[in-house]
Amino acid sequence: MAAMAHPTEHGHGGHAHSNEHGHAARGGTPRPRVAVVKFASCDGCQLTILDLEDLLLELSEHFEIVDFPEASSARSNGPYDVLFVEGSVSTPDHLRRIGELRKQARVLVTIGACATSGGIQALRNWADHDAYRAAVYPTPEFVESLARATPIAEHVPVDFELRGCPISPDQLVELLTALVTGRRPQLRDEAVCMECKRRGVVCVMSAQGIACLGQVTQTGCGAICPRMGRGCYGCFGPREQANAAGLARYLQASGERSAEEVGQLFAGFTAYSEPFRSTITDLGGTRGARRTGGAGHVAGGAYPPPGGAATGRASYLPGRPRMEGIDDDGR
Amino acid sequence: MMTIEVTRPERTTTAGRWYLERAGLDALVAALREDGRTVIGPTVADGAVVLAEIHSSAEMPHAVGDVQGPGRYRLTKRDDARVFGYVVGPTSWKRWVFPPDVELSTGRRTGHRVEFAPTASHPTKLAFVGVRACELAAFGVQDRVLDAGPFRDADYAARRESAFVVAVQCTTAELTCFCTSMGTGPEVEHGFDIALTELDEGFLLDVGSPAGQELVDGKLASALRPATPVEVYTAAADVAATRARIGDPLPTAGLHDRLLAQLDNPRWAQVAERCITCGNCTLACPTCFCTSVIQKTDMEGIAATNERAWDSCFSPGFARVAGGSFRSRPRDRYRQWLTHKFGTWWDQFGTTGCVGCGRCITWCPVGIDVREELMAIAPPVALSPEPIRVEPVAASFNDFVVAQVVATRQETADTVTLTLAGADPAFSKGNLGQFAMVAIPGFPPLPISISRFTVDGIELTIRGAGPATKAMTALKVGDQLGLRGPLGNNWPIERAVGRDLVIVSGGIGLAPLRPVIHALAADRRRFGDVRLYYGARTPADILYREEMERWASRGGIEVHLTVDRAGPEWEGRVGVVTQLFDQATWEGANAIAFVCGPERMMQATANTLAGRGVTPTRIFVTLERHMECGIGLCGHCQMGKYFVCRDGPVFSLLQLGDTFGREGI
Repeated sequence: MAAMAHPTEHGHGGHAHSNEHGHAARGGTPRPRVAVVKFASCDGCQLTILDLEDLLLELSEHFEIVDFPEASSARSNGPYDVLFVEGSVSTPDHLRRIGELRKQARVLVTIGACATSGGIQALRNWADHDAYRAAVYPTPEFVESLARATPIAEHVPVDFELRGCPISPDQLVELLTALVTGRRPQLRDEAVCMECKRRGVVCVMSAQGIACLGQVTQTGCGAICPRMGRGCYGCFGPREQANAAGLARYLQASGERSAEEVGQLFAGFTAYSEPFRSTITDLGGTRGARRTGGAGHVAGGAYPPPGGAATGRASYLPGRPRMEGIDDDGR
Repeated sequence: MMTIEVTRPERTTTAGRWYLERAGLDALVAALREDGRTVIGPTVADGAVVLAEIHSSAEMPHAVGDVQGPGRYRLTKRDDARVFGYVVGPTSWKRWVFPPDVELSTGRRTGHRVEFAPTASHPTKLAFVGVRACELAAFGVQDRVLDAGPFRDADYAARRESAFVVAVQCTTAELTCFCTSMGTGPEVEHGFDIALTELDEGFLLDVGSPAGQELVDGKLASALRPATPVEVYTAAADVAATRARIGDPLPTAGLHDRLLAQLDNPRWAQVAERCITCGNCTLACPTCFCTSVIQKTDMEGIAATNERAWDSCFSPGFARVAGGSFRSRPRDRYRQWLTHKFGTWWDQFGTTGCVGCGRCITWCPVGIDVREELMAIAPPVALSPEPIRVEPVAASFNDFVVAQVVATRQETADTVTLTLAGADPAFSKGNLGQFAMVAIPGFPPLPISISRFTVDGIELTIRGAGPATKAMTALKVGDQLGLRGPLGNNWPIERAVGRDLVIVSGGIGLAPLRPVIHALAADRRRFGDVRLYYGARTPADILYREEMERWASRGGIEVHLTVDRAGPEWEGRVGVVTQLFDQATWEGANAIAFVCGPERMMQATANTLAGRGVTPTRIFVTLERHMECGIGLCGHCQMGKYFVCRDGPVFSLLQLGDTFGREGI
């Protein structure tokens, strides 16, 4: 419980929350309050939490789950010890809520491609938002949405990210275990290729000429797509220092693929994460944007959107890469 | 009574050497399994020959071959029934002697007490079937790293000790193979229990250890008969052919020092633009041994396990400490890998870290070839191509041998190809790019490039430009002429192995390059992309037109044509030859170029090639000069320090330096 034991050091409201709603488990130690909130998302990551099944029981011995829309209609207000955020910031309401939720959360964990990267809905960031909205909805004037869907970290500091579409249950358990025991979560920062090689999966790119994003994509999925004989489509998002431009150049040169086709490979669930984002832009934008006459590129100057807190990770975790977490004191 | 001593013929060539029918392979697998061993061998899965547990020889590949190149692996169907008709695949035996994930120990923390307990290793008895020479060498390297002290990996040692090794001699090779350069193959020489060399219907079997002998004398005895001298000879010849086929793709003399002197080479940054730092090369490598240990705990934080997993110096976190990473840039990590593998490994372990298996080349998803990088970063000290000289006939100034025209072909209005036979056999053994001094009495002898080597002669393609060449193009079938040669050096085609080749030619300049194209087409798989750019004055002046269509359709050669001027019937390009590729998308970093044409055209070509990343060390031209002797005695063909006839006619741009293209040299 080391990491959970000193809520006041983060300076938001003392210990009033520590046991108000919970009850003492295991010798009277208060359980950390855990909540899940969602923005623009499909709820698939929440379902991954539910799919833990037996482990959920063990988790509930260590955590008090106070808010979990996919599991229960009960709602609770903060503050929270651990707040899982699913989904991207996609509406004016999301923009208003995320800042408040950050204040209520000691540890904020974004879960899934939408929250960490913007999600599939961020493909509209390359397109004309109004044209999209008019094409999809019969009465678009009732739809309140922002021109761009953005990851949570563009608006507030994020302590941990769980990547994937959906997230990996193993990584979720590992993160919770690390939080409860006060150690650094062992979330590998490496290419999917490493997982393929350890498992003895034959490289689909070398052996079959299939375009695969595994080289530039964060591991965690267990290389599920290459194991099934198809290329990785990057749902865990770019890994640290991902050489997406180098891969894009090779895919064009080696496989008679057009720039558009290669750009499309990157334009998936994590398209809006750098360096996938600029790679797509360099290759001419997304297919949908071209069809609807969108700008075809993302104007860097448009961010942060008006009203966004947009602290950026850098000020909160100076010089530290993602997944390193908040335990900067070396724990 | 007189005794006569009879010298008995040596029997050592076949003694102790056995023949195993192909069907007998199953007896070998069965015998190893009966011995309580888990048998690991090749099998086909997911489009590759992988290594996995096998239960009978039926699970092994049959009639399967492979084609490998940078970033590329494909299975092929063989015409024969061979079980080992391919080279190394994606898996290495490292997986079984140094597994990718192992639990090392467990720990507990109860109150103030901590406990640690090593996790016991109980490796099963192993047998490896199909270990190649490079892989035996990899065991040797791993033994030095993990089992030579002062500290040892006991789990590795136990697994190695338990393994019965059935080695296989390579009778095939791929573009990615370079065991010959690393001194690790293809010959299997030691470190095995049994070695097999696959023949048409079975295997030559050699015994390499007491355990192997025991198997041969026991369970395998009924499947064996003594090998015949023909079988022994054939096996040796097949392996020798493999060695010849691989050549020496990576000159390693002084490589350690060459490489470590290049820590600041700008090429590290260039390769890092292409390298994805995914780590595939290191995990595919049979000798890379880097690992990371991961701690896992239960939710109470009481019980912990330590698990060791293969890791890679390419991962950004591998050299990270609290303040950051010591090798933060991709270029740092590429340099770490290459300098360790080919350089500092020697200092640490007294051996190379690379065994030349080529896995890092084939399984690099973006096709980076370490040999290419090493040659660019730490090139061999002597860069000039080593000409392989054929002893010429009629080498003296005044001597000719006679050959007969057996066929003529009008190539264009003024150009004829003569097929000659009956000349000295030396001519048909000549090298690509050599020339002959050709004479008709009454006319001055002229240097003419050999445009084809046939079984019993050569072809000469001659443009009737002056009286002597007009007399030659007028020759009819049955006419004779005089020859001296073959003379001069040759195109360094061995340096093009494993690389892309760009051939640029203008007009009659295609003649000395035609044998190169024949050689490429005959052994096409050994080369990367081959592109021919050819320019002629008009469409009617295009040489070897029908043949060129075959090069494109069946030879796997991209042919691009242009003409200086053309009528409306010409639908192709019009313009100078460099325009054919100054907009092309290929990258020249891996390419070698052979260029022949008018000197100004060659100069323009060299400039365009340089702009695409083909360095002067990889651009070769053939020069035309006035020659009378062809052997460096008459003085006509001097160019700077060279006699073009004797030292050329093929030169690298590096050799020519600033004399190339300079007016008045």
